[in-house]
Amino acid sequence: MAEPAQRAVVINPAKICQPIGAMYATLGINQAVPLVQGSQGCSTYVRYQFNRHFREPVNIAVTSFHEDAAVFGGRKNLIEGLYNLVLRYRPRVIGVVTTCSSETIGDDIETFVKEARKEIGRGLGEDILAQVSIVPIHTPSYAGSHVKGYDTASKAYLEYLAAPGQPNGRLNIIPGIINPGDIEEIKHLVREMGVDPLVIFDISDTLNAPMRLPKPLYPEGGTTAEELKDCANSQGTVALCRHAGGSGAQYLLRKFNLPAVLGPLPVGVANTDTFLENVQKITGAVIPPSVERERGILLDHMADTSQYTVMRRAAIFGDPDIVSAVTRVVCELGMEPVVVLSGTASKDFTAEVAGVTAEYGVTPDILSGSDLFAFEQLARERKAEVILGHSKGVDMAKDMRVPLVRVGFPVYDRVGLFRRPIVGYRGTLELMDRIINSILDFAYPEDKLHQ
Amino acid sequence: MVLDTRPSHAGAGMHPAREAHFCRKGQATLAAGPVPREARCGLFAEPPVSPELPAHNRPTLPGMVSQRSCPYYGARWALAPIPDLIHLVHGPVGCAFYGQTVRSQEYQLFSTDLAEKEVIFGTGEKLYRCLLEAFAVRPGARGALVYVTCTPGFLGEDLEATCRRAEKATGKRVVLVECPGFCGSSQAAGHDIAAEVLLTHFIGAGLFEGVRRTAADGVGHSGESAVNLVGEFNVRGDLDVIRSLLAQAGITVVCAFNADAPAGRMATAPLADLNLVHCRRTGLALAQGMQAKFDQPYLQVSFYGPGNVTASLREIGAALGREREVEAVIAAETPAGEKFWRQARRRLEGGRALLFFGGSRLGSMVGAFQELGLEVVVAGSQFGRRDDYTWAWEQVAPGTLLVDDANEGEIEFLLERYRPHLAVGGTKERYLCLKSGVPFLVFPQEGSPYAGYRGFTNLARDIIKALAAPVWRLIR
Repeated sequence: MAEPAQRAVVINPAKICQPIGAMYATLGINQAVPLVQGSQGCSTYVRYQFNRHFREPVNIAVTSFHEDAAVFGGRKNLIEGLYNLVLRYRPRVIGVVTTCSSETIGDDIETFVKEARKEIGRGLGEDILAQVSIVPIHTPSYAGSHVKGYDTASKAYLEYLAAPGQPNGRLNIIPGIINPGDIEEIKHLVREMGVDPLVIFDISDTLNAPMRLPKPLYPEGGTTAEELKDCANSQGTVALCRHAGGSGAQYLLRKFNLPAVLGPLPVGVANTDTFLENVQKITGAVIPPSVERERGILLDHMADTSQYTVMRRAAIFGDPDIVSAVTRVVCELGMEPVVVLSGTASKDFTAEVAGVTAEYGVTPDILSGSDLFAFEQLARERKAEVILGHSKGVDMAKDMRVPLVRVGFPVYDRVGLFRRPIVGYRGTLELMDRIINSILDFAYPEDKLHQ
Repeated sequence: MVLDTRPSHAGAGMHPAREAHFCRKGQATLAAGPVPREARCGLFAEPPVSPELPAHNRPTLPGMVSQRSCPYYGARWALAPIPDLIHLVHGPVGCAFYGQTVRSQEYQLFSTDLAEKEVIFGTGEKLYRCLLEAFAVRPGARGALVYVTCTPGFLGEDLEATCRRAEKATGKRVVLVECPGFCGSSQAAGHDIAAEVLLTHFIGAGLFEGVRRTAADGVGHSGESAVNLVGEFNVRGDLDVIRSLLAQAGITVVCAFNADAPAGRMATAPLADLNLVHCRRTGLALAQGMQAKFDQPYLQVSFYGPGNVTASLREIGAALGREREVEAVIAAETPAGEKFWRQARRRLEGGRALLFFGGSRLGSMVGAFQELGLEVVVAGSQFGRRDDYTWAWEQVAPGTLLVDDANEGEIEFLLERYRPHLAVGGTKERYLCLKSGVPFLVFPQEGSPYAGYRGFTNLARDIIKALAAPVWRLIR
């Protein structure tokens, strides 16, 4: 097992900054707008990522730091920004997302928000003020990646909004940085078990919105402020991604004594089995025959196609929870993971992947917190035949003349992948098809399937 | 007049917002004067329009969904294509992740990936170590550009000294690009910073002190003239088209800033006879600097739309004494497209277009759309300068609305208010316009070149394709 690259300089990073993770979460809330306390690039660059991945417009407001903010701090920007944002967009929820700049200056965000609330109440009326929740989320970019940003946001929102009440019988799901299609599939599985899912940060509608004129200001859907309040009264919480959302689940456990399950992301047979068992444990619901059938179809397909996958060398990069789950799928398909990289450093990730690969008797290089330059070098050395990762792997895959199976965020050079799940048995089937068809497109003669 | 009758808005309590500065050619409806905050962002009625050019280069109002970006973005936009330098982003890792992609192209990018302890105890040592490591990874690089982002920008350490130390250790040029996100009101500040960096450290570097250009210095050989293109980024082959037009007239391109200008070749750029400024916003400052420093004349040109191309070629011909060659190029190149352009014009005549550009494309592209028979009803830019608006103003018909720094909400309003047949802009505007039911053309383009006569054919075809998509007839 290789150590992470022993250099300080990062070349072609495989991780993004904390704020984008917090914005990802916020966009899953009904009528919510993230307000970035920082420079305009901090919102615009992020909007490009979302625009390109989801092919959707996204509203992310910014307090536009200029020279005066550098000198006097961000107080004026935030107070004025909150006022203007409420005046124009009337959001139900505003996530104040800090950046490296505002954290370096040492902005006292909580106090500024209080002052802004006073001003909004005075200027726009108490009834308008009462409609909006303003949640500060501290996401200094120098202390962790987008994965941590999402995690931080999950805790911040629940700390601020969740409140005890009557039991609602629902099951909280904190999805993490996964796609609308994944969330749909998770809802499907939970509903098949007769349980009502409460998805916290539900981007399945907000970032996959229909075209219907006139275009509404906010897309439909998303977790409502009321649901965020009510999630303290659910039966328990499953954070699909331990690193992105785990803190939210743990907060609900500590504060409201809700059972919490952190991961693994249900990609692959074993992980989906685990997920369903966990739902069963928390809610007492049974796994219905319809879901057993989905499992059977997946296994049937695995048997039908093993000749394409077994012993094929794969290199995988991306976010820790997605990569460790995909590594398991790759193993389940009989492929050999040779390099496995999480852009975000995590000891849990290294241990998890080491565990999975030990089970299957393979020994990949495991990189935790390394970059795509190191990844490419190792993938070449170990002669990877297929790469699994997001769109930042395109040039590498072209150079190496191997297929890139697109998984993760951001994917901007293919269409529609955000709509398709890789979670659950059906999602795993989709991922398998993607892997195998990429291999076939690349390396197999057309007459391979004999009559 | 109630302009916004959408029930969904009423339900959400939305007041389409106004921050942008509007002006309408040929109409004087509102006296200029200080605009109170409530009027700037309150309930939207018909925008107060000014008979003057839009106010420009103003800071953005906090709390908006701004279409603008930051100076670091602008610096990357201008400098990313320089191949023989190491590009090192000094700051937390995010900026380097985003900055890898420029005009939909991916570039290798280094980052110091600052962590909390460095932010507290100082970032200089890590920068130094990263520079040495970067040169070890890419020993062939001629030097390094160090982009200073927000966090080190706030800390105010002496990074210049760190760079000197790294220069001593490596024998390579290490240059700071001081472009923290807060140092200007938009990416335009970054373009100027980039121009300054090139001018101070690379263009003409190594030529003897106090060199003055003379005709005899021309780098063109065997009677060719030589030019630099300034503010040309070779989006989908634009540069290749321009280069071929010029080559036919016996004009060589020495450097194209910044699509084809390795640091090594920039040293010889001052030897060209003439600088051609294509994008004014990113190029004019550089061209003016080169004029002041090397006595090198410049010409502002546009290669978008046959009218602009022909006029520009003639001006270039006159400036270089190549009138005859240039006329031959025009005569040879124009007939190929003319029939198609006429057809396209017949199809597009009377269509209303709404244009949103970054800066100078406003002036250089408006003419191209008009040549296709489209009526430009709104033309806006994120960070245009006075001369960009003047240039557009001269070309648009009376009644056209010019807008500076429209934000997402305002663009949404304008789409509803004007219901254009076509909207043109970047990726951020793209999905908003499409979701609002308006066909869209993305710019910088993603397919084939738009520059030159051939490029105009591509532009016309792309517009027709955007409008022809049957989806627009399926919407209920």
